[in-house]
Amino acid sequence: MVLKAFFPTCCASADSGLLVGRWVPEQSCAVVLAVAHFPFIPIQVKQLLAQVRQDSQVGVAVLGTWCHRRQEPEESLGHFLEGLGAVFPHEPWLRLCRERGGTFWRCEATHRQAPCPPGEDQVMLIFYDQRQVLLSQLHPPAVPPYRHVGADPTSPGGLAAVFHTVARCEALFRSDRFDEGPVRLSHWQSEGVEASILAELAKRASGPICLLLAGLLSLVSAVGACRVFKLWPLSFLGSKLSTCEQLRHRLEHLRLIFSTKKAENPAQLMRKANTVASVLLDVALGLLLLSWLHGRSRIVHLADTLIPVADHVAEELQHLLQWLMGAPAGLKMNRALDQVLGRFFLYHIHLWISYIHLMSPFVEHILWHVGLSACLGLTVALSLLSDIIALLTFHIYCFYVYGARLYRLKIHGLSSLWRLFRGKKWNALRRRVDSCSYDLDQLFIGTLLFTILLFLLPTTALYYLVFTLLRLLVVAVQGLIHLLVDLINSLPLYSLGLRLCRPYRLAAGVKFRVLEHEAGRPLRLLMQINPLPYCRVVHTYRLPSCGCHPQHSWGSLCRRLFSGELIYPWRQRSDKQD
Amino acid sequence: MCAQPVTNTKEVKWQKILYERQPFPDNYVDRRFLEELRKNIHARKYQYWAVVFESSVVIQQLCSVCVFVVIWWYMDEGLLAPHWLFGAGLASSLIGYVLFDLIDGGEGRRKSGQTRWADLKSALVFITFTYGFSPVLKTLTESVSTDTIYAMSVFMLLGHLIFFDYGANAAIVSSTLSLNMAIFASVCLASRLPRSLHAFIMVTFAIQIFALWPMLQKKLKACTPRSYVGVTLMFAFSALGGLLSISAVGAILFALLLVSISCLCPFYLIRLQLFKENIHGPWDEAEIKEDLSRFLS
Repeated sequence: MVLKAFFPTCCASADSGLLVGRWVPEQSCAVVLAVAHFPFIPIQVKQLLAQVRQDSQVGVAVLGTWCHRRQEPEESLGHFLEGLGAVFPHEPWLRLCRERGGTFWRCEATHRQAPCPPGEDQVMLIFYDQRQVLLSQLHPPAVPPYRHVGADPTSPGGLAAVFHTVARCEALFRSDRFDEGPVRLSHWQSEGVEASILAELAKRASGPICLLLAGLLSLVSAVGACRVFKLWPLSFLGSKLSTCEQLRHRLEHLRLIFSTKKAENPAQLMRKANTVASVLLDVALGLLLLSWLHGRSRIVHLADTLIPVADHVAEELQHLLQWLMGAPAGLKMNRALDQVLGRFFLYHIHLWISYIHLMSPFVEHILWHVGLSACLGLTVALSLLSDIIALLTFHIYCFYVYGARLYRLKIHGLSSLWRLFRGKKWNALRRRVDSCSYDLDQLFIGTLLFTILLFLLPTTALYYLVFTLLRLLVVAVQGLIHLLVDLINSLPLYSLGLRLCRPYRLAAGVKFRVLEHEAGRPLRLLMQINPLPYCRVVHTYRLPSCGCHPQHSWGSLCRRLFSGELIYPWRQRSDKQD
Repeated sequence: MCAQPVTNTKEVKWQKILYERQPFPDNYVDRRFLEELRKNIHARKYQYWAVVFESSVVIQQLCSVCVFVVIWWYMDEGLLAPHWLFGAGLASSLIGYVLFDLIDGGEGRRKSGQTRWADLKSALVFITFTYGFSPVLKTLTESVSTDTIYAMSVFMLLGHLIFFDYGANAAIVSSTLSLNMAIFASVCLASRLPRSLHAFIMVTFAIQIFALWPMLQKKLKACTPRSYVGVTLMFAFSALGGLLSISAVGAILFALLLVSISCLCPFYLIRLQLFKENIHGPWDEAEIKEDLSRFLS
């Protein structure tokens, strides 16, 4: 049986003493956490261990002895170390020894009691960086690999035990180099916290500030939940405007940030940090945009170009309609219906142009105020832009709806009249097509309508096609904006930064490097942490977004387009909870 | 079983059963097997004139299509004023309506429970809808090529003839589909006429000749076969006369078609009966003769 001993690298040069750590019997491995130096009083060591055990809920014990021979071998020390086994009984008893020069290591594990056969096990020595293991967070693989019976410590279960042990015994490492306790311990130590008045002040002030801001936010959300906003037109507008959605989303973020509850686990802490980073980036980008917009009278330029652009779009639409009213692409259209539809749409455009001209004196002021919203964040400004695009292309939306309704009416009428034409009908109870005997007048009127609808279908379908294409263009632009907003909303910036600067903090697993492998000597390995890949970082720590996911797959989208059902770009509030 | 030697055939008599083990190979049959062979059980003896009489339904339908096309031609050329056609159609419809009740003495009306008020309503629906839609019909196919319309009408009228219910019991027969195709063709053709009044009267005429006329025919054939033969002959000659005024070649071809269907085809059918070899025997699939519906309920 091979026994694994995890040994911190920082203890390799420590003086001789006792090995303090945890024995994991399932993995048959010993995790050494610290070395207690001579001289000590055994009862004090036991008290310290009991205290650590109580704090961390981990079975910390004395695992064996550590002997670092700097000078000539001392026979007395060897005997003394052997005698310690009786004072701190542990199974198996580890004896770790480092010879002079540091190149020669010896390691033995002895069982003293039955039922194990007395003798020595083979010991594998694994060095680990205590600080990295303490700070890192192990991410088990997404798909658990096939695990052998009696798996080696590289398997996730064993590793998780090691990581868990080190992380839980933080209390042991709390004392820094300058502390003078009853027992001298050697382990990884922080360099000592540098006291700063500013940091201390910030720490003290953060509690009340959080409380105050949380109160303010709850006030804002209470106003938002007020009954006036639940009335029909306002609630409808609120659910359709992406700006309102974005504001609601950000409000939730801020409430999460300023909540006075402490984060319970590392995942929640990470989420909070990610939210802070996302909000900060958002506001910074928004302020950048604001300074760009309000400098050098760009707003005026923008307002001056916006109206001609809207006019131009309307003119292009007029040309398109006039083309459709002729013989577009040599298609055989029904002239009378074509003229009626074309005039109807032209009148609409006329209305639209007059509306735009009515609005034109106020556009500059509106833009100026809209520009101010960028200080709430780039995402809010982008959502506003998306809403403005939706409002400015309202005529296209109207055309699309008229075309789609007309087309849908025709398609539905044709499909049911085609069944009548064949002497069949749709049986709603049995959900199938049954044969049916119709009256003479039913047949006559049905066939008459069928003929008329069939010959008018190409005209309607062409109008529907053209306006659907225009609509899809607008939807695609809005979709791009929403995608950008979603990216800013959900990108885990803090986690990515952590992965970039401190790769060991997010561990995917470990790898071992062989330090020494010679017969008659213990195998010595160095454990190094494998960082988490970037895609998994993004996948694991992605913040929940407002749900900009497309509602339909491509196939169902095409089917809906063909049957003339309306396509909405508005994002639906997702019920998915994180 | 096949490997067993056939030694004791004399002792054991072969039985046509499967539920007992017998010392014969699976494909063994007795000499008595072919004794049950029967030939032409269901073959019928046809009388020549009876077949000719039955074929008159086909003749009638062909003539209806022919008369419709001829009338459309006259309207399209402007040789027939729509008022005349409307008057004639109205008069013949009224006569047909009276005849319809007179022939069987109101028996059919009592059975079906159709009231005169319902008849009037149907007629009003026809007239109103056709009149209301006639301007739409007029401009409906303006941009479609005339040849396309002709091709479509020809296909639809052929379909009307194919799917018409001539009294045969077949899966292809669908009187609904056949009537709808005829109406479709008439709407297509009517949209080519010069004015909307023409279109309205054409569609009305199509209803009369494709929907109402076959109903009257069926009743005539069932109640007074002699007068039916007379009506058929008159109708056929008038259709031929109408076609002759348009094109002599077409009239000759149509006459040949009518003669071949009414005289040659029955003759050929009776001749071919002699070659009929329909065998029946124990190998036929089982047929349940008894009425099992009492077990099902």
